[in-house]
Amino acid sequence: MSESFEKLQNRILSDAKVKAEDILHEAEEKASKMLEDARQKARKDADAVGAKARFDAEALRRSILSAKVRANRLRLLDEKNRIVRSIVSGAEERLSAIAQSPGFMDTVKKMASEAVDAIGTDQATVRVGFEGTKGKELNSLGPALPRGAKLVVEDSPIDELGGVIASDLDGKVVFNNSFRARMDRMDSQLLSLISSTVFGE
Amino acid sequence: MSGIDAVKRIVETEAKARKIVEDAKTRAQEVLQKAARDVEAARQAILDQAQRQRDEVLSRAKIEAEAEAGKSDSDTEQTLAGYQKAFQARKDEAVDRAVQLIVRG
Repeated sequence: MSESFEKLQNRILSDAKVKAEDILHEAEEKASKMLEDARQKARKDADAVGAKARFDAEALRRSILSAKVRANRLRLLDEKNRIVRSIVSGAEERLSAIAQSPGFMDTVKKMASEAVDAIGTDQATVRVGFEGTKGKELNSLGPALPRGAKLVVEDSPIDELGGVIASDLDGKVVFNNSFRARMDRMDSQLLSLISSTVFGE
Repeated sequence: MSGIDAVKRIVETEAKARKIVEDAKTRAQEVLQKAARDVEAARQAILDQAQRQRDEVLSRAKIEAEAEAGKSDSDTEQTLAGYQKAFQARKDEAVDRAVQLIVRG
Protein backbone atom coordinates (compact mmCIF):
# COMPACT_ATOMS: atom_id res chain seq x y z
CA MET A 1 0.00 0.00 0.00
CA SER A 2 2.79 2.38 0.97
CA GLU A 3 4.78 1.48 -2.16
CA SER A 4 1.94 2.06 -4.56
CA PHE A 5 1.10 5.33 -2.81
CA GLU A 6 4.61 6.53 -3.37
CA LYS A 7 4.40 5.51 -7.02
CA LEU A 8 1.23 7.54 -7.37
CA GLN A 9 2.95 10.60 -5.94
CA ASN A 10 5.91 10.16 -8.26
CA ARG A 11 3.59 9.74 -11.20
CA ILE A 12 1.77 12.98 -10.40
CA LEU A 13 5.08 14.86 -10.19
CA SER A 14 6.47 13.16 -13.25
CA ASP A 15 3.39 14.08 -15.33
CA ALA A 16 3.69 17.66 -14.14
CA LYS A 17 7.35 17.78 -15.20
CA VAL A 18 6.53 16.37 -18.62
CA LYS A 19 3.79 18.95 -19.05
CA ALA A 20 6.16 21.70 -17.91
CA GLU A 21 8.78 20.58 -20.43
CA ASP A 22 6.16 20.55 -23.17
CA ILE A 23 5.06 24.08 -22.28
CA LEU A 24 8.67 25.34 -22.37
CA HIS A 25 9.47 23.45 -25.55
CA GLU A 26 6.42 24.87 -27.25
CA ALA A 27 7.34 28.41 -26.15
CA GLU A 28 10.92 28.00 -27.41
CA GLU A 29 9.72 26.73 -30.76
CA LYS A 30 7.28 29.58 -31.03
CA ALA A 31 10.04 32.08 -30.13
CA SER A 32 12.36 30.56 -32.66
CA LYS A 33 9.72 30.78 -35.40
CA MET A 34 8.90 34.38 -34.47
CA LEU A 35 12.56 35.27 -34.82
CA GLU A 36 12.99 33.47 -38.12
CA ASP A 37 9.81 35.01 -39.58
CA ALA A 38 10.93 38.47 -38.47
CA ARG A 39 14.37 37.96 -40.01
CA GLN A 40 12.86 36.82 -43.29
CA LYS A 41 10.56 39.83 -43.43
CA ALA A 42 13.38 42.19 -42.48
CA ARG A 43 15.60 40.67 -45.22
CA LYS A 44 12.80 41.22 -47.71
CA ASP A 45 12.44 44.84 -46.58
CA ALA A 46 16.24 45.22 -46.75
CA ASP A 47 16.21 43.85 -50.31
CA ALA A 48 13.61 46.48 -51.20
CA VAL A 49 15.81 49.18 -49.61
CA GLY A 50 18.76 47.86 -51.64
CA ALA A 51 16.81 47.86 -54.90
CA LYS A 52 15.61 51.42 -54.28
CA ALA A 53 19.16 52.46 -53.39
CA ARG A 54 20.43 51.12 -56.73
CA PHE A 55 17.63 52.94 -58.55
CA ASP A 56 18.34 56.18 -56.66
CA ALA A 57 22.07 55.80 -57.30
CA GLU A 58 21.48 55.51 -61.04
CA ALA A 59 19.20 58.56 -60.93
CA LEU A 60 21.84 60.49 -58.97
CA ARG A 61 24.56 59.45 -61.42
CA ARG A 62 22.44 60.53 -64.40
CA SER A 63 21.55 63.79 -62.73
CA ILE A 64 25.19 64.67 -61.97
CA LEU A 65 26.35 63.65 -65.45
CA SER A 66 23.55 65.32 -67.35
CA ALA A 67 24.07 68.57 -65.44
CA LYS A 68 27.77 68.44 -66.28
CA VAL A 69 27.22 67.43 -69.91
CA ARG A 70 24.64 70.22 -70.26
CA ALA A 71 27.03 72.77 -68.77
CA ASN A 72 29.87 71.61 -71.04
CA ARG A 73 27.64 71.68 -74.12
CA LEU A 74 26.79 75.26 -73.24
CA ARG A 75 30.47 76.12 -72.88
CA LEU A 76 31.16 74.64 -76.34
CA LEU A 77 28.21 76.49 -77.86
CA ASP A 78 29.31 79.75 -76.21
CA GLU A 79 32.80 79.33 -77.58
CA LYS A 80 31.52 78.55 -81.07
CA ASN A 81 29.24 81.59 -80.93
CA ARG A 82 32.15 83.74 -79.75
CA ILE A 83 34.30 82.52 -82.65
CA VAL A 84 31.51 83.00 -85.21
CA ARG A 85 30.80 86.51 -83.85
CA SER A 86 34.47 87.31 -84.07
CA ILE A 87 34.53 86.26 -87.74
CA VAL A 88 31.36 88.20 -88.47
CA SER A 89 33.04 91.25 -86.87
CA GLY A 90 36.08 90.65 -89.08
CA ALA A 91 33.81 90.49 -92.13
CA GLU A 92 32.06 93.70 -91.05
CA GLU A 93 35.41 95.46 -90.76
CA ARG A 94 36.34 94.32 -94.25
CA LEU A 95 32.98 95.46 -95.61
CA SER A 96 33.40 98.88 -93.98
CA ALA A 97 36.64 99.28 -95.86
CA ILE A 98 35.39 97.83 -99.13
CA ALA A 99 35.65 101.19 -100.87
CA GLN A 100 39.41 100.69 -100.89
CA SER A 101 39.18 97.36 -102.70
CA PRO A 102 39.84 97.12 -106.45
CA GLY A 103 36.43 95.85 -107.58
CA PHE A 104 34.46 98.30 -105.44
CA MET A 105 32.57 100.11 -108.18
CA ASP A 106 31.56 96.84 -109.82
CA THR A 107 30.19 95.72 -106.46
CA VAL A 108 28.21 98.94 -106.02
CA LYS A 109 26.79 98.65 -109.54
CA LYS A 110 25.72 95.09 -108.89
CA MET A 111 24.08 96.03 -105.58
CA ALA A 112 22.29 98.98 -107.16
CA SER A 113 21.10 96.88 -110.09
CA GLU A 114 19.74 94.19 -107.74
CA ALA A 115 17.90 96.83 -105.68
CA VAL A 116 16.33 98.50 -108.72
CA ASP A 117 15.30 95.11 -110.12
CA ALA A 118 13.75 94.23 -106.76
CA ILE A 119 11.43 97.25 -106.63
CA GLY A 120 10.37 96.59 -110.24
CA THR A 121 10.45 100.11 -111.69
CA ASP A 122 13.00 102.25 -113.46
CA GLN A 123 11.54 105.36 -111.80
CA ALA A 124 13.56 104.71 -108.69
CA THR A 125 15.50 106.66 -106.13
CA VAL A 126 18.79 104.95 -105.43
CA ARG A 127 20.62 105.96 -102.27
CA VAL A 128 24.21 104.86 -101.90
CA GLY A 129 26.59 105.37 -99.01
CA PHE A 130 29.90 103.76 -98.10
CA GLU A 131 32.69 104.54 -95.71
CA GLY A 132 35.72 106.28 -97.21
CA THR A 133 34.32 107.15 -100.62
CA LYS A 134 34.31 110.44 -102.36
CA GLY A 135 31.08 111.69 -103.88
CA LYS A 136 32.68 111.82 -107.27
CA GLU A 137 33.43 108.11 -107.26
CA LEU A 138 29.88 107.20 -106.38
CA ASN A 139 28.45 109.75 -108.78
CA SER A 140 30.02 107.72 -111.55
CA LEU A 141 27.36 105.14 -110.78
CA GLY A 142 24.68 107.38 -112.38
CA PRO A 143 25.14 106.26 -115.98
CA ALA A 144 24.86 102.65 -114.91
CA LEU A 145 21.34 103.20 -113.51
CA PRO A 146 18.13 103.07 -115.57
CA ARG A 147 17.33 106.28 -117.37
CA GLY A 148 14.53 107.41 -115.00
CA ALA A 149 16.40 106.63 -111.81
CA LYS A 150 17.65 109.25 -109.39
CA LEU A 151 20.95 108.77 -107.59
CA VAL A 152 21.43 110.09 -104.07
CA VAL A 153 24.93 109.82 -102.62
CA GLU A 154 24.88 109.76 -98.83
CA ASP A 155 27.67 111.32 -96.77
CA SER A 156 27.78 108.41 -94.37
CA PRO A 157 27.65 104.67 -94.89
CA ILE A 158 24.14 103.23 -95.10
CA ASP A 159 23.32 100.98 -92.12
CA GLU A 160 26.84 101.60 -90.77
CA LEU A 161 28.57 99.16 -93.11
CA GLY A 162 27.53 100.77 -96.36
CA GLY A 163 25.26 99.75 -99.18
CA VAL A 164 22.42 100.73 -101.45
CA ILE A 165 18.72 101.38 -100.84
CA ALA A 166 16.30 101.68 -103.75
CA SER A 167 12.75 102.96 -103.50
CA ASP A 168 9.98 103.87 -105.92
CA LEU A 169 9.05 107.51 -106.38
CA ASP A 170 6.43 107.43 -103.59
CA GLY A 171 8.80 105.71 -101.25
CA LYS A 172 6.20 102.98 -100.73
CA VAL A 173 8.29 100.19 -102.15
CA VAL A 174 11.75 100.04 -100.67
CA PHE A 175 14.48 97.48 -101.12
CA ASN A 176 17.33 97.72 -98.69
CA ASN A 177 20.45 96.26 -100.23
CA SER A 178 22.89 97.48 -97.61
CA PHE A 179 25.54 95.06 -96.39
CA ARG A 180 23.74 94.88 -93.04
CA ALA A 181 20.44 94.01 -94.73
CA ARG A 182 22.17 91.42 -96.92
CA MET A 183 23.76 89.90 -93.82
CA ASP A 184 20.35 89.71 -92.16
CA ARG A 185 18.84 88.05 -95.21
CA MET A 186 21.66 85.56 -95.47
CA ASP A 187 21.97 85.04 -91.74
CA SER A 188 21.62 81.26 -91.59
CA GLN A 189 23.62 80.74 -94.80
CA LEU A 190 26.35 82.99 -93.43
CA LEU A 191 26.51 81.20 -90.10
CA SER A 192 26.68 77.77 -91.69
CA LEU A 193 29.38 78.94 -94.12
CA ILE A 194 31.49 80.27 -91.23
CA SER A 195 30.82 77.17 -89.16
CA SER A 196 31.74 74.80 -91.96
CA THR A 197 34.88 76.78 -92.78
CA VAL A 198 36.15 76.94 -89.19
CA PHE A 199 34.79 73.76 -87.64
CA GLY A 200 34.37 71.64 -90.75
CA GLU A 201 30.70 71.03 -89.95
CA MET B 1 -0.49 5.70 7.18
CA SER B 2 -4.05 6.68 7.84
CA GLY B 3 -6.45 7.43 5.03
CA ILE B 4 -6.55 11.10 6.03
CA ASP B 5 -2.75 11.33 5.91
CA ALA B 6 -2.76 9.73 2.47
CA VAL B 7 -5.27 12.23 1.12
CA LYS B 8 -3.28 15.06 2.67
CA ARG B 9 -0.08 13.81 1.01
CA ILE B 10 -1.83 13.52 -2.37
CA VAL B 11 -3.19 17.07 -2.06
CA GLU B 12 0.33 18.33 -1.26
CA THR B 13 1.81 16.43 -4.18
CA GLU B 14 -0.79 17.83 -6.58
CA ALA B 15 -0.03 21.30 -5.31
CA LYS B 16 3.65 20.69 -6.07
CA ALA B 17 2.71 19.45 -9.51
CA ARG B 18 0.56 22.53 -10.18
CA LYS B 19 3.46 24.73 -9.12
CA ILE B 20 5.81 22.94 -11.49
CA VAL B 21 3.38 23.60 -14.36
CA GLU B 22 2.75 27.22 -13.31
CA ASP B 23 6.50 27.86 -13.10
CA ALA B 24 6.89 26.41 -16.58
CA LYS B 25 4.14 28.71 -17.87
CA THR B 26 5.85 31.71 -16.32
CA ARG B 27 9.17 30.72 -17.89
CA ALA B 28 7.45 30.17 -21.23
CA GLN B 29 5.99 33.65 -20.99
CA GLU B 30 9.47 35.05 -20.32
CA VAL B 31 10.85 33.12 -23.30
CA LEU B 32 8.17 34.68 -25.55
CA GLN B 33 8.75 38.17 -24.14
CA LYS B 34 12.47 37.84 -24.79
CA ALA B 35 11.72 36.57 -28.30
CA ALA B 36 9.61 39.66 -28.98
CA ARG B 37 12.56 41.87 -27.95
CA ASP B 38 14.98 39.76 -30.04
CA VAL B 39 12.68 40.04 -33.05
CA GLU B 40 12.76 43.84 -32.93
CA ALA B 41 16.53 43.89 -32.40
CA ALA B 42 17.15 41.45 -35.28
CA ARG B 43 14.86 43.42 -37.60
CA GLN B 44 16.52 46.69 -36.67
CA ALA B 45 20.00 45.23 -37.20
CA ILE B 46 19.10 43.99 -40.68
CA LEU B 47 17.46 47.29 -41.64
CA ASP B 48 20.36 49.32 -40.21
CA GLN B 49 22.75 47.27 -42.32
CA ALA B 50 20.56 47.86 -45.40
CA GLN B 51 20.54 51.58 -44.67
CA ARG B 52 24.35 51.62 -44.36
CA GLN B 53 24.61 49.77 -47.68
CA ARG B 54 22.20 52.26 -49.26
CA ASP B 55 24.31 55.20 -48.05
CA GLU B 56 27.41 53.48 -49.40
CA VAL B 57 25.83 52.78 -52.80
CA LEU B 58 24.69 56.41 -53.13
CA SER B 59 28.01 57.78 -51.99
CA ARG B 60 29.90 55.53 -54.43
CA ALA B 61 27.55 56.50 -57.27
CA LYS B 62 28.16 60.18 -56.51
CA ILE B 63 31.94 59.74 -56.48
CA GLU B 64 31.89 57.74 -59.73
CA ALA B 65 29.57 60.21 -61.44
CA GLU B 66 31.77 63.12 -60.38
CA ALA B 67 34.80 61.29 -61.78
CA GLU B 68 32.94 60.77 -65.07
CA ALA B 69 31.90 64.42 -64.99
CA GLY B 70 35.57 65.33 -64.56
CA LYS B 71 36.32 63.37 -67.72
CA SER B 72 33.59 65.33 -69.51
CA ASP B 73 35.34 68.52 -68.31
CA SER B 74 38.69 67.45 -69.68
CA ASP B 75 37.10 66.34 -72.99
CA THR B 76 35.46 69.75 -73.19
CA GLU B 77 38.75 71.54 -72.50
CA GLN B 78 40.31 69.54 -75.33
CA THR B 79 37.47 70.40 -77.69
CA LEU B 80 37.72 74.08 -76.75
CA ALA B 81 41.45 74.00 -77.47
CA GLY B 82 40.62 72.41 -80.83
CA TYR B 83 38.15 75.22 -81.58
CA GLN B 84 40.79 77.82 -80.78
CA LYS B 85 43.31 76.08 -83.02
CA ALA B 86 40.78 75.85 -85.86
CA PHE B 87 39.82 79.50 -85.35
CA GLN B 88 43.43 80.69 -85.54
CA ALA B 89 44.14 78.53 -88.60
CA ARG B 90 40.98 79.36 -90.58
CA LYS B 91 39.97 82.79 -89.35
CA ASP B 92 41.18 84.67 -92.45
CA GLU B 93 39.71 82.15 -94.83
CA ALA B 94 36.36 82.31 -93.01
CA VAL B 95 36.32 86.12 -93.12
CA ASP B 96 37.15 86.01 -96.87
CA ARG B 97 34.38 83.55 -97.59
CA ALA B 98 31.87 85.46 -95.46
CA VAL B 99 32.66 88.71 -97.27
CA GLN B 100 32.37 86.98 -100.64
CA LEU B 101 28.99 85.57 -99.68
CA ILE B 102 27.67 88.92 -98.44
CA VAL B 103 28.96 90.82 -101.46
CA ARG B 104 28.14 88.30 -104.17
CA GLY B 105 25.17 86.58 -102.62
